[in-house]
Amino acid sequence: MQSVALWFATFLLMVIMSVPGLWVVLSAFRPNREILAKPPVWVPTELTLANFGKIFGFGSEQVGIPVTSYFMNSMIIALTSTVIALIIGMAGGYAFARYRFRFKGGIFLGLMLFRAVPGIALSLPIFMIWSRLGLIDAKMGLIIVYVSLNVPFTIWLIDGFFRQIPMSLSEAAQVDGCTRWQAFWKIEFPLARSGIAAAGVFAFLTSWNEFALASQLTRSTDSKTLPVGLMDFTAQFTIDWAGMCAMAVIIIIPALIMTFLVQKHLIAGLTFGGVKG
Amino acid sequence: MSRAFQTGRVNWTPVLLLLPAIGVMMFVVALPLVFSLYTSLTSYRLTRPETIWDFVWFRNYERLFGNRDFWVAFGRTILFLTIALNVQLILGLGIALLINKITWGQRTLRTIMMFPMMFSPILVGFQFKFIFNDNIGILNNALQSLGWTDRAIPWLVDGKLAMFSIIFAEVWMSTSVFAILLLAGLFAMPRDPLEAAKVDGCNAWQVFRHITLPFLMPFAFIAMTIRSLDIARAYDIVKVMTDGGPAGRTELLWTMIARTAYQDARMGQANAAAYLSTILSIAFTYYFYLKLVESRRYMGGVQ
Amino acid sequence: MTRTTKKLTLGVALAALTAGGAVAQDWGDFSGYTLRVKLIGGAQYEPLYATISEWEAATGATVDILSRKNHFELDREIKQDIAAGTLNWCVGSNHTSFAPQYGNIYADLNDLIAPEVLAEFTPLLLEHSTVDGRLVQLPRHSDVSNLFYQKSLFEDADNQAAFLAEYGYELAPPETWAQVFDQAMFFADPPNFFGTQFVGKDEAVTGRFYEMLVANGGAMFDDDWNPTFNSEAGVEALEFFVGLYNAGAVPAGVPNYLWDDTGLGFASGTVALNLDWGGWSAFFNDADNSAVAGNVGVIRAPMGSAGLRTGWSGSHSFSITEGCDNKEAAASFITFLTDHDRQMIEARMGILPTRTAVWDDALAEFADAGNDFMVEVFSTFRTSMAEDAFTPPLIPEWIEVSNVLWPQLQAAMVGDATPQAALDRAARDAAEIMEDAGYN
Repeated sequence: MQSVALWFATFLLMVIMSVPGLWVVLSAFRPNREILAKPPVWVPTELTLANFGKIFGFGSEQVGIPVTSYFMNSMIIALTSTVIALIIGMAGGYAFARYRFRFKGGIFLGLMLFRAVPGIALSLPIFMIWSRLGLIDAKMGLIIVYVSLNVPFTIWLIDGFFRQIPMSLSEAAQVDGCTRWQAFWKIEFPLARSGIAAAGVFAFLTSWNEFALASQLTRSTDSKTLPVGLMDFTAQFTIDWAGMCAMAVIIIIPALIMTFLVQKHLIAGLTFGGVKG
Repeated sequence: MSRAFQTGRVNWTPVLLLLPAIGVMMFVVALPLVFSLYTSLTSYRLTRPETIWDFVWFRNYERLFGNRDFWVAFGRTILFLTIALNVQLILGLGIALLINKITWGQRTLRTIMMFPMMFSPILVGFQFKFIFNDNIGILNNALQSLGWTDRAIPWLVDGKLAMFSIIFAEVWMSTSVFAILLLAGLFAMPRDPLEAAKVDGCNAWQVFRHITLPFLMPFAFIAMTIRSLDIARAYDIVKVMTDGGPAGRTELLWTMIARTAYQDARMGQANAAAYLSTILSIAFTYYFYLKLVESRRYMGGVQ
Repeated sequence: MTRTTKKLTLGVALAALTAGGAVAQDWGDFSGYTLRVKLIGGAQYEPLYATISEWEAATGATVDILSRKNHFELDREIKQDIAAGTLNWCVGSNHTSFAPQYGNIYADLNDLIAPEVLAEFTPLLLEHSTVDGRLVQLPRHSDVSNLFYQKSLFEDADNQAAFLAEYGYELAPPETWAQVFDQAMFFADPPNFFGTQFVGKDEAVTGRFYEMLVANGGAMFDDDWNPTFNSEAGVEALEFFVGLYNAGAVPAGVPNYLWDDTGLGFASGTVALNLDWGGWSAFFNDADNSAVAGNVGVIRAPMGSAGLRTGWSGSHSFSITEGCDNKEAAASFITFLTDHDRQMIEARMGILPTRTAVWDDALAEFADAGNDFMVEVFSTFRTSMAEDAFTPPLIPEWIEVSNVLWPQLQAAMVGDATPQAALDRAARDAAEIMEDAGYN
């Protein structure tokens, strides 16, 4: 009995916590007139897909928002940068976990502190350098930046993870004739999978949702991502709140799916990683 | 430790393994920082490219040191970081403890808990700008409908409420990260000490205070460190909600830097301020990292 | 084809159109060329862009819209382009208040567009579009604010009697800002109903303060570019906003308001008087969007204490970059976007045209359709554009000065400083900016 009450209380708490987000989702299906009404309309009298239609430019005089390009850009950029960050992070994490070398602690801390530099402090110098290299308004330009955003945390998680796996396992495999490389892929990598999945989710969400740097480094449909596309709904005089909410739903759904898919690994991944010095 | 460690000569394997990581950080962070360090010593204006060669030594920094608004924003940024991170920690801990108690349907609850993590900071900004709108925002509408107030509370304007509102938005967005990291910590917790303590007649609070909490501390500091790494993302939120206003009441270093840099086009000045804000961020992360190392040392026996 | 002949054909073609009307337009032939453009985005600007395909069809060129953003975002992007040397596009949206910041990145249109074409634009607007003697932008539409009000409130007999009793003069649509103040106080019933409202941050509030300053007989700067907005006229201007704010005659959130908030606020029917841009008029009178449709009156902006009317004005425009690889195509494109038919599209929504002929034709069209409201709007705004409109000082430092001024305006509103102290402080900071910029 007590546990049911506890469950229910927690569930309620979670729902209350989600209210601001759920309100956005609900607003995506309501007309502006009703969202902005005063006195407020609490129970929606009208649910509509018109906001989504408007985004795609159906039946309105407004030029549609190129949401398909934004979506593809976001996907390509977020996935590529996540995969690269994981590869670099695995290499780095493995080095920290398995080798001893000079300045090890200092390099580790240095990587973390580099990550702490606020994006706003980096945005203009990055812009200047990228423009010399032709990386403005190019997916590659953003991918490189996102890799650097994600590498430190990935290294941290994966380092902790590899540390959990006894050296004796891979040594035994090497005695049996595997090369160190084979031992890594056959023994250590599968055991570290949860940690890698967890790091992957965090990296994906960071890249998928990043706005400040993307808004500086992208220009057109060649590279603009979904969060930058949100600004298409604002103009000097008006903000189309309903349209923005519809776009928000388009942004949230892939992130939810991604998180749900790896959810099983997520907690396990975070458990083993990190805590061990 | 292990036989894999080779002694006597330099082992190049870890160097090669780390090279991509170090390389990318150098390219994306260190190189731009060098460039912005240089521009912070010039009178560089964005709209006049030739001014990048106008070297003024420390004039930009001198001006900042003598600028009261800058120090107020500096102090407010520290306040913002401190309050936001601590509130997130406490709420995250509460949520993690609750969910950890629950056995049935936990996966559902965990998914709901992570819902705010799906929201882009820029979206969170717009969302709370509308929620806190004094005239048509749902918060005031709700309060008025419930009859709790007949005033239109100016959430984004009042000196104290405006700061509260932006911290609220930041807390909403990021508490999940704390909750999930602390939940992971609770899962990793060995059962034996808990059982032993119960047998010894400790009450729930004593168990929490002397066993659970010390065990969770490293996780808490990991979460703090991780969050301090990208709390500057809150810039997106504040930019949209108040842009530092009204009358500079919610001005943080980040909004100040962005305005100086792009609207005023005074890049040199902005980069000087950006440098000081970088030092502040690094100091925060470094502090939590030291705490983390310390608490791990303290934990040494348990694990 | 050389540049001059091209210019000539274009000019002739246009003259032919405006004279005869039936002659097919020749926008030139730019087959295979891709014109790269950066345009201001947003609901009321978009319908014009839907016609770009017509220009593409007529010329064989393709238009590549690199950016479509609001003006503040676009401004930042252009500044970055200047800094990084990436001005690799041809046409950009511009604004008279922003244009002086950009130095000489934009070409002088006097060399690119035929004088006959330019002659069809309102001369004053071309003057506003000129920086350092160079016509750096072609005005697309203008903006000035006039006073919208809810007619029923003024027609109500009880209101009239009560107002007369309290203030000692008849209740009528206001002629002066002092009357607006009285009436706003009279109508206000917070938090359900407000006397008036104003935008409270960014360049928006600077502009509102600036026009009130001018209407009170003040000026931003003296002849030597020393800031003088902390004068008596300035304090009086600021006290108008502070007084309304403290009395609760405007919504408590106004220090965080921008144009969308004031426009939607008036449309929600909770505001009595609203000084706003012409572009809103169709929206205010549209029953689908507005609770006050059919009940909206509009009058010329009231007078300040110096007997001058407020009239902060600016024009949205198009510019061609100096580095453009095909200036003829670019000139054809911006001429197309600002030609008679295109301006009619925007005028029908209440957006103010920049061609003299469009004012007449739009007014005639509204009259034919029996749209009395839009006739009233257009007549009012036409007078206002002709007699009251003035721009902010067209100097590169305007936005920067604005950025030291508006936080102080807010400080006075929310009670952190007295109006005099707030303005004195802003004037000190502004003086430093002007000094750094080498004015004195």
